[in-house]
Amino acid sequence: MSDRTETVAEIRDLRVEIDGRAIVDGVHLRVRPGMVTALVGASGSGKTTTGLALLGEYPAGARVTGEVRLAEGGLVGYVPQHPAAVLNPARRVSALLDDIARPQVRALPPAERRAAARELVLRALSDAQLPDAKALLRRYPHQLSGGQQQRVVLAQALLLGARVVVADEPTTGQDALTKDRIVDQLAAVTARGIAVVLLSHDLDVVRALADEVLVMRAGRVVESGPVARLWRYPRHEWTRRLLDAQRAAPPDETRTGAGQPVLEVRHLTAVHGRTTVLRAPHLTLHPGECLAVMGRSGSGKTTLARCLAGLHRDHDGELLLDGTTLPRSLRHRSRAQLAAVQYVFQDTRAAFDEHRPVLDQVARTAVRLRGADERAAREEALTTLDSLGLAEEPAHRLPGELSGGELQRAALARALLAHPRVLICDEITSGLDTVTRRGILDLLAGLLRDRDDLSLVLITHDRETARIAHRVAVVDVGELAGEGRARQVLTP
Amino acid sequence: MTRHRFALGLTIVAVPLLLALLGPLFAGEPGPRAPSFTLGGGHWLGTDFVGRDVGRQVLHGGRTVVLTALAATALAYLVAVPVGLVSALTHVRRLEELLMRPLDVLLAVPSLLLILLVASVFAPGAVGLALLVALVNVPDAARIVRAAAGEVAARPAVEALRMQGESWWRIAVGYVGRSSLRTLAADAGIRLTGVLYLVSTAAFLGVGVAPDAADWAVMVDRNRTGLFVQPWAVVVPALLIVALTMGTNLLFDAALEKSSKRKGRRP
Amino acid sequence: MRVSGLRSFVARRLLLGVAQTVAVVLLVFALTEALPGDAAVALAGDQPDPARIAAIREAMHLDRPAYERLADWAAGLARGDFGTSLASGRPVTQYIADGFGPTLLLAALTLALLIPAGFGLGVLAARHEGRLVDRLVSSATLAVYAVPEFALGVLLVTVFALKLAWLPPTAVGYGTDLLGHPAALVLPVLVLLSRPVCSLSRLVRAGMVDALASPYAAHTRRYGVPGARIRYAHALPNALAPAAQQLARTVDWLLCGVIVVEALFVIPGLGTVLLNAVAERDVPVVQGLAVVFGVLTVVLNLGADLVAHRLTPRAGVAA
Repeated sequence: MSDRTETVAEIRDLRVEIDGRAIVDGVHLRVRPGMVTALVGASGSGKTTTGLALLGEYPAGARVTGEVRLAEGGLVGYVPQHPAAVLNPARRVSALLDDIARPQVRALPPAERRAAARELVLRALSDAQLPDAKALLRRYPHQLSGGQQQRVVLAQALLLGARVVVADEPTTGQDALTKDRIVDQLAAVTARGIAVVLLSHDLDVVRALADEVLVMRAGRVVESGPVARLWRYPRHEWTRRLLDAQRAAPPDETRTGAGQPVLEVRHLTAVHGRTTVLRAPHLTLHPGECLAVMGRSGSGKTTLARCLAGLHRDHDGELLLDGTTLPRSLRHRSRAQLAAVQYVFQDTRAAFDEHRPVLDQVARTAVRLRGADERAAREEALTTLDSLGLAEEPAHRLPGELSGGELQRAALARALLAHPRVLICDEITSGLDTVTRRGILDLLAGLLRDRDDLSLVLITHDRETARIAHRVAVVDVGELAGEGRARQVLTP
Repeated sequence: MTRHRFALGLTIVAVPLLLALLGPLFAGEPGPRAPSFTLGGGHWLGTDFVGRDVGRQVLHGGRTVVLTALAATALAYLVAVPVGLVSALTHVRRLEELLMRPLDVLLAVPSLLLILLVASVFAPGAVGLALLVALVNVPDAARIVRAAAGEVAARPAVEALRMQGESWWRIAVGYVGRSSLRTLAADAGIRLTGVLYLVSTAAFLGVGVAPDAADWAVMVDRNRTGLFVQPWAVVVPALLIVALTMGTNLLFDAALEKSSKRKGRRP
Repeated sequence: MRVSGLRSFVARRLLLGVAQTVAVVLLVFALTEALPGDAAVALAGDQPDPARIAAIREAMHLDRPAYERLADWAAGLARGDFGTSLASGRPVTQYIADGFGPTLLLAALTLALLIPAGFGLGVLAARHEGRLVDRLVSSATLAVYAVPEFALGVLLVTVFALKLAWLPPTAVGYGTDLLGHPAALVLPVLVLLSRPVCSLSRLVRAGMVDALASPYAAHTRRYGVPGARIRYAHALPNALAPAAQQLARTVDWLLCGVIVVEALFVIPGLGTVLLNAVAERDVPVVQGLAVVFGVLTVVLNLGADLVAHRLTPRAGVAA
């Protein structure tokens, strides 16, 4: 038990300041071998800065005080959120690993170095659970899947002989199956006595992996302790909010409609070039209903949404709005039809014109689709934005000056100004931290409650998000695999 | 560093540019012809191959180069921007192919070769040269517009605008065109330098100008025979052309770096 | 999947190359067709005596329909028969054969020096990014990059031939035996190199600087990989693809440059032949040379594109 109390890395009273503003302030952290220390908090809470401090890296122009101490020979490895970014696209996997192995075999006579380095590389690959090393080594990074890339980066850390691995948001944007695999992998790393510092806002993963949790907010650690204690008896208000954000309220079941569906899909087969990407024989949406479409990334669920919205035109089959045919491409839809089916994009920032104030862009919907005059449209836009929790002052700013959560609210307002019958939301919560995500989901649930005529289609890979739906349809490898009441489908 | 280069470029380009635009106003009446390639004798820079005053020729000789280059650059964009925008925004693949493929083919012909080829048949004047230089620049410019606009047109913002029922013009000009402006401005600087190069080289080879024209490039060519007797008639116009092209390039490069830095600082 | 992707790229690129070649041939032919009025009268130019006009009409078969002449000419090209000169009556192929040697020598020497010089300067600047060496190299390459060869050429002649008398001002009197007089080659090659070296070294520098500032370079540094290895094994490969692409464009520049340099230094190469033919409105010679230059450009561009495609690192994730 003695090695459990030993410390491989320690941060004492760390303060990182940029332009006089502290982004990390008074952080203490002890990292022990074989243990997982998790830093949780919303984006911008300072957890990445703290994690990188262990690697001796700070943002450009930062003033740093405090102490970062590593144990004797305590090398630190790093697994970033986007592993592709740290793998040189112009070099093969073998070369990327060889570079790290080479200094370790320098003591050997030159003739033996190559074989010894190869031996080290192969061992690291098998430790990182990468089978079929021979084929893998010959590939370039772009020829690997996202999971393989992540494991190659992990293999680099193992090859280095790291005693601490900093993993930055390793599960963000991944589907449930991939998440499970990443959790297994990190658990295997700790089993080898290596310490893991996990930076994440994914509380499921933190709960499954962490021994100790530090809750960060605005650069400070507001609470820390063993994971079980923290979950059961959160002491700080912010921790409580963070945890509450995960526990969603089930939807109001009384109003799931019968009668004529507002939207109906018949014999839909969508293609990309020559490959079929989605088959959906039949799908309906009733007035006032919320339908969640779930599936792994690449399963074709976004294609389904884009077909409904008229953004993906290469498909056979029929779309019916209130029993009448809806043109495939939105270029051929009338204003009333455009207004009836609205779409909110996953990448909100990219879905706004960066040169015009948000309010102007939101108001245009009412002008173009409902023939409202300029002034009335702005009035309505302000009211709608306000009801969605976006004040007037930020609404006058450019999109670049708003946060992700604020922009997502503006995007919802932009769609709602059309007075849509069907609102399609494509992964609109996936880039957001837990608290902001909860806010958006509450908003959607509120919309369903308050607007009788509005139906929602939620495209998501996230069970939490799907919980606000009445029904869930599952898409798997391009096939509509089944549907059912949300309660039945989501109960594990 | 960037400020320095901006100032340096401006200083270098100012002399030839002012001479080119304002020189003809100060040139005065042509005097009587003197013997060829002489120095002194009331001629500040000596005389040229037919005995004209070099100083006066220099004052006259920049206007054609600068105006032809500016006109050719503007003309090239006049064609390239609509072609690039339409082909980036259309969803009809055949229209895009129809617009862009012929340009790919034209891109294969070396620019000076095409100009010489036409010159062998037509003997174009300054207007003809501007048209020709514009023509050889259209394929590349259209490709750049197409690429810049294509990148913007693929953004969800364009789909969001369509979802709002915005008109084609508002999407194409108000959003896609405006968002591509920075790339186009950068390209225009590079293109103007290239056009200056091509116009003056063509003039040096005798395309688009009269053999005794008052043109810096023609002066370099025609007065070369007297280089050993009267170097000023060659060196001064050559230096002016060097200053014009070099200064333009430094200026645009510095301006570009400045604007990209400003962009980088925004959140 | 990767192999078939490469194969389809090569197939598409080859098809484009063929289309470009055909287009060059058609364009060259169409230009003479576009002559206003009676082509023979227009071509006779300054000496419009009826005998000469008749001779031109006879030599170019102007009394036959255009498509027949195109078919004949194209068939001739395929056999290596480029027609005969209007001015001298000699076969065009002979003109080409005469001018080929000096031009090839100039081009080969320039290319042989271009690659080491361009990469050397680029790597040098990238190694010392932001320091004096980099500032000097970057400013000089940026400045020289835009300068037309003829202006740079006469200034170099003025300094090195006139003032210092180190080198001969032109190649007059040496004929095609340029290798026997290497001093006469120094200035022409220097002038030809000026623009391509600048563009190549700037691209190499930019590619390396970008790569050195990238997250993957930071990652390798983090894991203690030595600096030299990061520079040459990680950063340099990322600068290769744009450099290869640029080399293809250089072909166009070299061609422009060769014509100017041959005129400037009086070297009897293909450029001089072309300029003389243009001056004499000797259409068959111009056509023949245009086809040779055009096809050469298409082929070299094709090769460079294929190399660049092979070298381009791809980002992203496999499905």
